[in-house]
Amino acid sequence: MTMRYLKWIAGAATGLAMIGTAHAGTITVYTALEEEEVAAYLEAAKEALPDIEVEALRLSTGDLGARLIAEADNPQADVLWGFAVTNILDPQIGDQLEPYEAAGLDQLADQYKADDNRWFAPVGYMGAFCVNKPRLEEIGAEMPRKWTDLLDPAFEGEVVMPDPGSSGTGYLMVAAILQGLGEEEGWQLIEDLDASMAQYTTSGSRPCRMAQVGEYTVGASLSFVAMQGISQGYPLEMVIPEDYAGYELEANGLMAGTDNPEDAKRFLDWTLSDSATSVYSEYKAVVTIPDVARSPLADDANLPENLDEVLFPMDFAASGKEREGIISKWRDTVGR
Amino acid sequence: MKPVTQPRQPQLPQPGEASSQRGSARQARLLHLVSFFVPMLGLALFFLYPLALVVHRSFLQDDASLGLGNYASVLAMSHIPGVVGNSLVMSSITTVVCILLGFAIAYMLQRTTIIGRSIIMLALLLPLLAPSLVQALGLLFLFGRNGLVNQATGWDMQIYGLWGLVIANSMYALPQAVMIIQASLRHSDVRYYDAAMVMGASNWRRFVDITLPNAKFGLLSAAFVVFTVTITDFGNAAVIGGDYRVLATEIYSQVVGQMNFNMGAVIGIFLLIPTGVAFYIEKVASQRQFGGGSESAIPVPRNFLPARDIPLGIVSHFTGFFLIAVVVTVVYASFVQLWPYRMTLTLDNYNITTQGGYTPLWTSLLVSTQAAVIGVVLLFALVLAQRGLPRAAAKAVYLLAIVPVGVPGLVLGLSYVLSFNVGGTIMGALYGSALLIAFCNFYHYHSQGFLTMVAGIRTVPKSLEESVTCLGGSPLQGLRDAILPIMLPTLVAVFFFLFMRSMVTLSAVIFLITPSLSVGAVSVLRLDQAGFTTQAAAFSVCIMLLVLFAMGAMKLTLMWLESRGRYSVAEAKAA
Repeated sequence: MTMRYLKWIAGAATGLAMIGTAHAGTITVYTALEEEEVAAYLEAAKEALPDIEVEALRLSTGDLGARLIAEADNPQADVLWGFAVTNILDPQIGDQLEPYEAAGLDQLADQYKADDNRWFAPVGYMGAFCVNKPRLEEIGAEMPRKWTDLLDPAFEGEVVMPDPGSSGTGYLMVAAILQGLGEEEGWQLIEDLDASMAQYTTSGSRPCRMAQVGEYTVGASLSFVAMQGISQGYPLEMVIPEDYAGYELEANGLMAGTDNPEDAKRFLDWTLSDSATSVYSEYKAVVTIPDVARSPLADDANLPENLDEVLFPMDFAASGKEREGIISKWRDTVGR
Repeated sequence: MKPVTQPRQPQLPQPGEASSQRGSARQARLLHLVSFFVPMLGLALFFLYPLALVVHRSFLQDDASLGLGNYASVLAMSHIPGVVGNSLVMSSITTVVCILLGFAIAYMLQRTTIIGRSIIMLALLLPLLAPSLVQALGLLFLFGRNGLVNQATGWDMQIYGLWGLVIANSMYALPQAVMIIQASLRHSDVRYYDAAMVMGASNWRRFVDITLPNAKFGLLSAAFVVFTVTITDFGNAAVIGGDYRVLATEIYSQVVGQMNFNMGAVIGIFLLIPTGVAFYIEKVASQRQFGGGSESAIPVPRNFLPARDIPLGIVSHFTGFFLIAVVVTVVYASFVQLWPYRMTLTLDNYNITTQGGYTPLWTSLLVSTQAAVIGVVLLFALVLAQRGLPRAAAKAVYLLAIVPVGVPGLVLGLSYVLSFNVGGTIMGALYGSALLIAFCNFYHYHSQGFLTMVAGIRTVPKSLEESVTCLGGSPLQGLRDAILPIMLPTLVAVFFFLFMRSMVTLSAVIFLITPSLSVGAVSVLRLDQAGFTTQAAAFSVCIMLLVLFAMGAMKLTLMWLESRGRYSVAEAKAA
């Protein structure tokens, strides 16, 4: 029994070793983009790059970050694709990337790419409220348009937002409020909003998932999460807060030490090509490449025409550095 | 930590010819060596080594030096005392609930003639074979603010928080408690009860003086398992816990939320503290069990005492009803178009569009079968071997075998990445394979399997084994004819436990999947994350059906094997 088993292991090991030696034309891509998007992009990529087999591993931002750090000694991916810039700015991830100046990079404004070309972000997402319309009617409140609207006592215990300590989404909301309103008033608003908060969730999408099934009236979450809910037919309205809409950029980069730099680079070039942008315009709320058509989802969800005016100018480098302090102050402020 | 003590050679009786005796002794020694070293090697490679890397991480400070800095930082966080308190309160309440209910149900299943025992047994399987994520969804569909109960009654019941968490975690831990307690209630000897009755002991006295002391090991082990699995579980805390923050959420927030690996490792190490109780459990385990287990034991017959069994029946059936209601809600939701707004029934949810469609289900089946087979063989070998070990060595084995339950899935999964993502070695070759996921799942549930096996094998008298070898049988025959038949129900229980958990566990596996290798539980998570709640329910229903079907098939095979086995045992006895 044992012997047979050992043989089995050995057999499996040899088999795997053969798989492990990447044959040319195959690249492994780690991504935190949404499942549906990934499928659509890869279909377009297959047409544009028929000779490259793209193997994508899709995990949520947090899980993928943990996986990348754990794999740091022997990275498995060739390309990091659609991953939150705030997390890339952490050297544990950023140091695993190799500078590469992708073709078409000059289209992007400076704030959407790294100075040393380690990453560039053609797309992004925004913080957004998911408002459950039937429940809003029930509690007799006005449609909230900005964070301060949520101070209405009618919302007491009716709002859910992610915990900034567990979720990047929660953090980007807190950071946007603090950067927009300044330290003192920002913390005051966060403290006042606490009365309306029923709970702080660990995941960034859960607040919207709760609002869509009517557990709570407002879920502070992300634009794409809201758009998914709306397209599935839930009675939701998406609201981009007019005052402090935090947003996150989804960046791409070349993993240092890749076995297949040629194909990895061609894939990165593709993410800035017309073939890719035509799909961005179908799915993404934030596209940083100029003159890309707006997505129909964005229309359905009533996204404002000119995003630049709504989006709060985020300072990612600053917010990344201050992260630890902000999270611990947030805990003390809300006391939960 | 790894014991270096050589196993003691079992003392064998001396009849028969010298040559066969020598051969038999050599065989016994070999058997003992193999059954000790192979499982220990497994533990060292697939548990101790990864754990050592986590311990190392917990000491690794920001400037790459080793020290206690991370421990100091964690202890200095102002919210940590509250979180520790929350965890202790939640796990203690859950433990009390699960032990009371678990003993009642195990007793009901093993000793009474209360009707509907098979329904309760089925109900207890349900929480094991549904992903905990989906179970939590089922609870929310029923008891959430906009759940069926609130809708029907007009109440505004809140499930989020401590009590919701206690309910969800009790559902998760109860079947494990029952499995262990039940193993300790099997094979008691009715003659003790008869003797006590002759001496005028009341039913209650006999329960207190015979049943309870014999179940002590089972109860204690079950309490230990319930406490540890609930204090390390993250899934329910995330969905049902609301603002009730526990240590498991804290690990998640450090590691996944803030990418502070080393701080997460520190909290992971803190969570190992409760496993120190293992020392005490081992002490109880080494005490001789008196109520069961002589070779001529006559099983305690089932009976019906109205004063005892009517309340017992009500409690068991209410619990069973609750467990079934949650799963039925999930099944119902899987056919609903858009819960809770368009309740029309549809089959659309079963058209799975997520990555790989239904393929991950088959990977799960493969992984789970591997985990269950490897697990049962290694655990059985280990419990056999530890019977013959000197006290000190047995103690070390116990501790080592029990510690895995204290490691949260998230920590285990990441420790596997750290251990096996190394190029060019045989260990590295395992990375990205289904087999590694199987090992991870087995060691994740190692402790529960081990404690169940120990509870079971304690009821097998050593003299039974010896009498077979006395009659000229080899040690292997002793194993086959004496131990195996008695242990079979426990082995089967452990096999199915590992199989079922492996089909649905998620927290560790999420870090071991690759672009081309994913499992069913991950698909459920992906569907839920993308907001396809009813599709997630549908996929879970498929998992549950597949598990039930696979278990049915395995049970039939087993019955067939057993019928053949019994024949050969009878034949051997006749000879």
